[in-house]
Amino acid sequence: MRIEDDRYGSRADTLVFLGCVALSIAAMSVPDAWRAPFSQALRQTILAPLLALQETTETLKSSRAHVEALTAQRDSAMLAAAFLPELRSENARLRSLLGLGTRLVTGYVPAEVLHQAGPTDPLTFLVSAGRRQGVKPLDAVVSPDGLVGVVSAVDDQTSVVATWAHPEFRAAAMAVDGSVYGIAAPHGSEGPGIWLLELQGVPYRSLVPDSTLIVSSGLGGVIPRGIPLGTVIGQGAENERWQRIYLVRPAVHPASVTHVMILTGTSRGAGNLRELFQAEGKSP
Amino acid sequence: MRRTDKYRFWFVLAGLVLLHFSVRTKLGDDRIAPDFLLLALLMYTIRAAPGPSAGAGFVVGIIRDALTPTSFGANALAHTFVGYLSSWAKVVFFAENLFVNGCIFFGGTWIRNLVVSLASGQLKGALLLWELFVWSPLQSLTTAVTGVLILGILGPWLAVRIGDA
Repeated sequence: MRIEDDRYGSRADTLVFLGCVALSIAAMSVPDAWRAPFSQALRQTILAPLLALQETTETLKSSRAHVEALTAQRDSAMLAAAFLPELRSENARLRSLLGLGTRLVTGYVPAEVLHQAGPTDPLTFLVSAGRRQGVKPLDAVVSPDGLVGVVSAVDDQTSVVATWAHPEFRAAAMAVDGSVYGIAAPHGSEGPGIWLLELQGVPYRSLVPDSTLIVSSGLGGVIPRGIPLGTVIGQGAENERWQRIYLVRPAVHPASVTHVMILTGTSRGAGNLRELFQAEGKSP
Repeated sequence: MRRTDKYRFWFVLAGLVLLHFSVRTKLGDDRIAPDFLLLALLMYTIRAAPGPSAGAGFVVGIIRDALTPTSFGANALAHTFVGYLSSWAKVVFFAENLFVNGCIFFGGTWIRNLVVSLASGQLKGALLLWELFVWSPLQSLTTAVTGVLILGILGPWLAVRIGDA
């Protein structure tokens, strides 16, 4: 390519620059309803092969890193599966004797996180599963340690996840023993408490000890009950409405997540997933 | 200059785009890994006039906005600025020099992150300071070193007269 002459400053260049700046400002100003379809179209056309390449790279990287662990887990699973039909029939028989319904089945879709270079990456990121894999908007996104966020937009092969650090994120939460309920929200980006959650709306008479595990309460039906959000590390500000606000250290940091599970079960929000995460915590 | 040189230039830019979506994830923390996409833009802009550079920056930025919807438009604005400014920098700083190219890569990355951080409005206080004075300089450094290495190895393909730094 020929290096351009050093005669700069033509009026056309300036006009193009100002036009691009104006378009950028317009893009920042348009409502979500307009920008979402545009972004989606770009991801499904121009960016689709590049995102597929990134997904393949992530898959290869994790495959190489975890092949031995997966082999061991597969062997264990095969051993356990040998007893599964007998256990399943026994479980069904006992449940029918007790008059219980079918056990909660929460389907999930595994996905790789497609991190991008940029200061706002921990607030939203792309994952490598979309509509074709059964992902829907507002599906909860979790890692083995706890809640990562919720799906905010879905494409054919990818989805956009708004993490708990996003300013608009809210989740109905409670202490793990059910003694206190409130709303979990990002603490904000100023002061020493950055990258923390806060438990808002706790009645003034209710005290939550430090190190208490905070989990999702399932209210609202968006995020299933029992998913760990974090642990209480202290009390935040009190405001004039006689409520207490507690600072919560999140169970998961969005920047450190490479793989997630998107909960797509039809009985979403109807059951308690606490036992599943306790089981995850015990596994090596 | 041979006729094939311009094809080599575009070949290198396409390679950088592919590296961004493949190798980059293996180069450590996302906050400090080199930004190959921005590098491709900068390599184009320091060889083009300011108008096309601003246009190329806008296109790259709007594509990145599709990948990070939190700050839609902020990347377009930032890359437009960086494209336009780096194109001007060629005239002011004589961009054929390898060291100067490295400085342009460093400054371009830092300014890009500065504009994105401010325009998106999502980062404030201590978080903004950490981004601007810790993570951004580190990413700028890795990007600049990568860019200098690429120029050093593929300089003739990029039709750049690389002088002694």
